[in-house]
This record gives sequence, structure tokens and C-alpha cells, in this order.
Amino acid sequence: MSITDDPHAALLRMEGISKDFSGIPVLHGVDFELRRGEVMALVGENGAGKSTLMKILAGVHPEYGGNIYIEGRVTRFRNTREAGQAGIAMIYQELNLIPELSVAENIFLGREPHGWGGRVDFAAMNRAAERILADLHFKAPVQTPVAKLRVGHQQLVEIAKALSLDARIVIMDEPTSALSEPEAAVLFAVIRHLQERGVAVVYISHRMAELFAIADRITILRDGRTVGTVGAQEIDRQGLIQMMVGERAERFFVKAGMPAAEILLSVSHMTRRNPDPARPALVEDISFTVRRGEVFGIAGLLGAGRTELLEALFGVDTGHTTGRMEIGGKEVHLRNPESAIAAGIALITEDRKSSGLVPRMSVLHNLTLAALSRIALCGNLLSSGKEAALGEKMRADLAIPIHSLDLAVELLSGGNQQKVLLAKWLATRPCVLLLDDPTRGIDIGAKYEIYLQLADLARQGMAMVLTSSELPELISLCDRILVLREGRCSALLDREECTPERILDAAAPAA
Amino acid sequence: MPPLASRLRSSLNHLAPFMGLISIFLAGAILNQGTFLNLYNQLNVLGRVSIIALPAIGMTLVILAAGIDLSVGSLVSFSSVLCAMLLMEREWSRASVAAILIGTLFLFFVIQGAVRLLLPSGGGLRWLPPVVGCAGAAMACWMSLQVVPAGFSTWMVLLMVPMVGAVLGAVNGLVIAKGKIQPFIVTLGMMSAAVGLAKFIAGKGGQIHAIYYEAAGYVAAGTVGTAPRSFDLLSSKIPLFGIPLLPAAGLFFIAAALLAHFILTRLKFGRYLYAIGGNEETARLSGIDVDKVKIRVYAFSGGLAALAGVLYCAAYTQGKPDAGLTWELDAIAAVVIGGTSLMGGKGSITGTVAGVLIIGYLANILNLQEVPSEVQDILKGVIIVGAVLLQQGIMGKWLRRLFRTRYE
Repeated sequence: MSITDDPHAALLRMEGISKDFSGIPVLHGVDFELRRGEVMALVGENGAGKSTLMKILAGVHPEYGGNIYIEGRVTRFRNTREAGQAGIAMIYQELNLIPELSVAENIFLGREPHGWGGRVDFAAMNRAAERILADLHFKAPVQTPVAKLRVGHQQLVEIAKALSLDARIVIMDEPTSALSEPEAAVLFAVIRHLQERGVAVVYISHRMAELFAIADRITILRDGRTVGTVGAQEIDRQGLIQMMVGERAERFFVKAGMPAAEILLSVSHMTRRNPDPARPALVEDISFTVRRGEVFGIAGLLGAGRTELLEALFGVDTGHTTGRMEIGGKEVHLRNPESAIAAGIALITEDRKSSGLVPRMSVLHNLTLAALSRIALCGNLLSSGKEAALGEKMRADLAIPIHSLDLAVELLSGGNQQKVLLAKWLATRPCVLLLDDPTRGIDIGAKYEIYLQLADLARQGMAMVLTSSELPELISLCDRILVLREGRCSALLDREECTPERILDAAAPAA
Repeated sequence: MPPLASRLRSSLNHLAPFMGLISIFLAGAILNQGTFLNLYNQLNVLGRVSIIALPAIGMTLVILAAGIDLSVGSLVSFSSVLCAMLLMEREWSRASVAAILIGTLFLFFVIQGAVRLLLPSGGGLRWLPPVVGCAGAAMACWMSLQVVPAGFSTWMVLLMVPMVGAVLGAVNGLVIAKGKIQPFIVTLGMMSAAVGLAKFIAGKGGQIHAIYYEAAGYVAAGTVGTAPRSFDLLSSKIPLFGIPLLPAAGLFFIAAALLAHFILTRLKFGRYLYAIGGNEETARLSGIDVDKVKIRVYAFSGGLAALAGVLYCAAYTQGKPDAGLTWELDAIAAVVIGGTSLMGGKGSITGTVAGVLIIGYLANILNLQEVPSEVQDILKGVIIVGAVLLQQGIMGKWLRRLFRTRYE
């Protein structure tokens, strides 16, 4: 066949793909093309339809309009297994591994090599797994339970699984969202390696720098339509953002400097022991102060203790925490999150689905969940009038663009969910706001709106403690940055000193 | 903005239990025109479902918080025995000891909790709630001690037996919350323990305790007296238009449903249940005392189950250690048919009321049709699973596939 011999022929073509969810159109005739051995970045703001398009390709959504051609033949997958057999593997943002099973067992889950009578041939399985991992230059004992691996390594196990399926197309949805920068570098090396083997990679990410580093071509989606496909060399960051947001211009953000104000939050010798006494403390002997209107950054690699520190400041796991905390000069004793809320502290958690929001609850009930006392008539009796008023106020304050607060919050896009989460905590009227990676996995437009909100809150005198997995974000937003390394403070940098090099240097393990 | 069609579909999902109720009602009306629609028959169904509806209402709240309570059937059995013995015995018995001890414990916690609510938060006087609690509980205990030789009154069993049920339920909640054990396991343990407890207090390997009212020809013998006449009112029918029609148990059902509906829609506690069922970690980080909520919801469920035991005792004039056998399954079935998700976080009391009535009407219609009971059980099973299939929209999916429309 001449088509397949041509290296530049499309391995995959998706034509006029349309899809709606319960009558709400998400894709309107999207075209997408993928060549053998290329890395294609798929970008667009949240809600542009990237994930939906890729889930159609992976057989997750079998009902759609339009056609998919693989090597020129019309194909229609009825389920993920058919897509897998056709050589399409998707690696989701939330990894699909079974934590208790070993690396090898995960790679060959459901396809274990077996001998007589269905007995699993563990030796053969482990050998095969080792071969695949060696291909990826990834050294891990294949019999280790996956739960014991770092997130970055778990992702490599997913990729190994895709390779073991002889995948020709590997789709990665926000693969670096949970990775530290060195882990991301390993991932990129693996992607290049896949490319050499002729595997085509679809790479979905919000991180501009990564796209230009790894992609050959970029397809831009906007509001469920294809804006265009360009070579990564032919376009710059500015141009790409222009295509993603359309009419709206790019908006850089740098927080204004901070006037000298009084100290609002003071933390001294905060230590959080590991529940397992044999292991080192999660956070050890951290002291810092935050002024009114200041954004105080916490930097560090994944697992350095960023989240654990913020949780400790919010009264989570007080049984293992020691240290002293003052707000406005008065010492506060946290017993639980309830007492932290009463003391004026709010924690925007890292993962909105698992610890920030109640997905199936309505937007309104999510907005008021942490501030129910504000809408109580007396004691335990809630006032639906007060609740509606508070909900409307928070929707207006944060400009949440939805027509009804009665929608389940899980139906909103990631950016809007994040706004609801922020509004939920602002409804408690805090004076100290702890933000754990508040722009994770949301699009540029929504990020910018969150930045504006934070700047506005700072002007109003809120003290904020912020972590982020993206260094540029941290540097542009924060007045000072504390760098964590293995639970300890390894540097405290003023604004002028905050450069990516210095932060990374302080964050990297000594060994 | 979601178009009308999708909004309609989402409200259809809410309405599914009621559409089920309407269709089964229509089926009954068509199959047995005369008898089924008769007011007497309708109120008869209400009377029959009322007792089992109480554990189903408690179960709804538990399931909304992503739990399950397998012990309600055993608690019905236990409390029916407890109730019968408290009414009939004229001397100290295992029943009166258990009821007074556990009831005292309940009052201590409730009184000190109430005092704590009244005190200003953060202030001193920390000693006050336990002291008042002790005093109040001791007083109630002393008063109930005086009652033992004369036998307990209807009012007292109506108060004490649910208290005992609530304490046993709270034990469920305590172990689930503090021990971090799955509710299924803990309440399975209580299911066995409560039946054992019922047989233990009944004595003689779990004998039946019958209720007798003072009447010509019946002579109280030994330590056994007679039940107060007023207890019979619990199984009677209240006159409407001069005719005894409305079953008293139905009033308890209606009151419990209204109370639970009020809790779920208007109280913080109800919102906490939905939040915990929807996402426990979020609930905890939103400042909700998850452990306390869990203890209370299992106590609520245990209390309602025990109230059902009292009504059972009145209806069947006996307390027996297997009175509530498999009732937990009927309760779960009613909740599920009513559209409450076993995953928690989604559902309503109105759905459970519909679920209870669907099961009641089904039995009634099949009885009127003289369908043998084994066939009834099979049909009930089919209805349970069919109802959930309907709610998950799988039927809708099949129908859509049948009339597949191409996307533009």
C-alpha cells in the first residue's frame, strides 16, 4: 500500500467530529490530523474540547458525528478495547493504575502471560516488563507495588503499558501537571524515544514552554472548533495565545509591589511528623511571617512538603503537628479545620475534585458549604433566602459565568470550578488565604482571572500563602518565596532574588 | 446554557420514583377497580407500610452520607421484645435493667449537649454541661426506677425504647467514625449482636413475649401483668368522618417523613449529610465534624428502627426476637427504588416515601390478584433492579439506540 509507505501520510485523520453532552454541543466539526512519529500538541482553553476529542479517539465516547480514518480506512471504535487493539493508548491526567499491584502486573493487567491451566507465568511477565522498562531507560524493580513509586515514575509505568500494547498513537492528557521539573525532563526524553520508534504522540498541556520544547506541530482548538494546525517552529508564544483566545489579547500578569504593612500571619517552628514514626518528618521547623497584602510563595519539588505545610496551617492532622501560629499578633490554637475557619484561615486545596468541592452538589450548596453559619437563621436552621443572596453575591464577585447556581458543580469547566472553589472560601471571610496550586490544569484565560482576583485580594489586605507547580507563576505572583527541600526550609528569597535558577538550586536534593 | 431537553431529562430522573408510583397506582386501579381504589384499602396499605417505612427513612439519611445500616432489622426485633417486656413485666427484668441503664446514658449525652448549645461558645463553665447532664439523667433514672413495679406506661415505652435504639445506633456510628471501619462490617456486627441481645433479654433462648390487655377471662399471673389500654391505640385506626379509618402508625410515618425532610432541606445537619456522602474529604476540610455527624445519623437510624419495634409490638401484640428479620433489606430496597444513590450524596426523603409506597402497593395489588407469595417475592426483586436500571438512564440509552438519531 502506497499510503502507508509515505512517511508524511496521515496516520490518523479525524474529520468533522461533532459531539454533544445531553444536548449541549461540545465539538462542532473538528478536524485533526496526525502523522507517523510526530509529537502533536493539542492546545486550547479549558472547555475548548481537547479532552473530549481525544476521548472519542480512544473509544471512551462511542457516539459522535463525523469520521475517523486510520491509515485511510474509516474506523469507528465502540469501546476503549477496540481503540486499544487499533494501537491507540490514552494516558489520563488521573492515572489508571492499581496501587497494590506490582509494576509488571500493572503493565500486563488483563493480558498476563500464562502457562498451563491459566497459571500466570510471573517469570515471563517480569522479564517482558523489564525489557519494556529498559527501552524507556527507566530503572525500577518490576516487582515493586506501584503505590511505592513517585507520581512521575507511575506515569512511566502507564507509558510502558501503552508500549506493551504496541501502541502507534499515545495520547497524553496534561502529563506534567503532577510532575516536578526533573521528572518532566525524563518524560520528554521518553517522548523523543517513542517518536524515534515511529509512535505518534498527542500532547495536551497548558504549559507553553513545554509545547515549544517537545512538539513538532500544534493544533489549536477554540470553543469546539479547529482554529488551525501550525508547525511549532512557525509560531511564537504570543501568536499561539492569540490563536487560543481569539479576539482577546494576551495578558501578562505581574503583581504590583507591596506597601510595608503590619505582620498578619506569623508561623514559628512548625513541624509535622510523619504518622509513620520511622519516616522523616513531613515538614520540619518552618518559620515565616506574612504581612497584610503580601503573597508569600512556597516552592519545592513534588513531595517536598508544600501541601503538608499548608494543611498544617489549616489544622489538618493536629495530632502530629507542633509549632506556634499567630494571626494579627494573637496566638491561635488549631484543633481542626473548623477552628482554622473560625480563626479566619481558608485553604484552597490542590485537587478540586477530591478535596475542594463536592462534585455532585449544586454550585450554590458548594459555595455556602464552608460558611453555613453565615446563612443560618438561628443555630442549625438554614435560610434559603440568605443562601441564595450569598450565592448571588459570590457569583457576581468572582464573575462566574453560569446561568444557574443549581447546576451540579461537576458540570462546569475546570476554570469555573476553580472560581467556585475560590468563592466558596472567600465566603467564609478569611484574612489568611492558603492556596495550594490554585491554577493547576486550568486555561490561560481562567488563570489570568484568578491572578486578578488574588491581586485584588492583596490590595484589600489579605495575607496569602501560595504554592504552584509552575515556577514562572510563582515568581510573577509572589513577594517572597520560601523554598522547601525534603520538608525543611532551604532558602527564603526576596522578590529581587527570585529567579528560576536560584529556586531550583535550593529545591534540588543535595545528594 | 443547557437547552430545555437536558434540563427536562435531569428533572425526569428526579421524578422517576414518582412516575413509578403513579404507574403502579394506575395498574392497581385498572386490575381491581372496585377494591383497590376503595379508601379503606388505600388506608390499609398505608397502615401496612408505615412500620417498615420508619427504618427506611432512617436508612435514607445514612445512605445519603455514603453509609449503610444493616442493623435496623435486628434493632426492630430487639426493641419489640424490649417494649413487650417493659409493658408486661411487674418485676425487675433484663429488659427494664437494659432500658433504664441505656436510657440514662442517652439522657446524659442529650442533656449535656443541649446545655453546651445554650452556653456561649469559648467561655468558661466547662464543668456545667456534664454536671447538668448527670443530674438530669440521674433524676430520670430515679423516676423510672419507681415505675418498674407498676409496669411502664405507653408514653414511657414510646420515649425509652427509641432512646435505647438510638444509643445502639450511636455505637454503630462511633465505631465507624473512630475505628475507621466500613459501615457494612460494623452494622453487620450490630445486626448479629442486637438479635443476640433480643434473645438474651427475652430469656429462655429467645421466647416470644405476648401482650395481653385487661379483659374478662384473663387473669394476670406471677410477675406478668397486663399492658395499659392506651398502648392498643398505637395499632388502632383513628376515626375520620366518624368511621375508624386512619391507622395510627401512619401518623408516625408521616411525622417521621416530615421531620427527615425538614432535616435534609432546612438544617445544617442535612447539608452535612449530603456533603459527607458527596465527598468526605471536602466535607472535613470545610470544617464539618464528620465523626460527630456520622454518630448522629446512625443514632437517628437506630432510634427510628426502635420506634418501628414499638409499633410492631402494638400491631402484632407481641415482641419477638425475629420480628424484624430481613427488614434492613426492605428498607434498603425502598431507599434505592426511591432514587437515592447507594454511593451517597444524592437522594431525598420524598423518593423514599415513593419507594415505600411502591413496595406496599405492589404487595397489595398482588394480594388482591391472589398471586402466591413466592411469585410476589420474585416480582419484588425484579422491581428493585428494574427501578435502578431506569434511574441510571440505561433504559433511556436503549431507547435512544433504538431510535438512533445522527449527530449533525
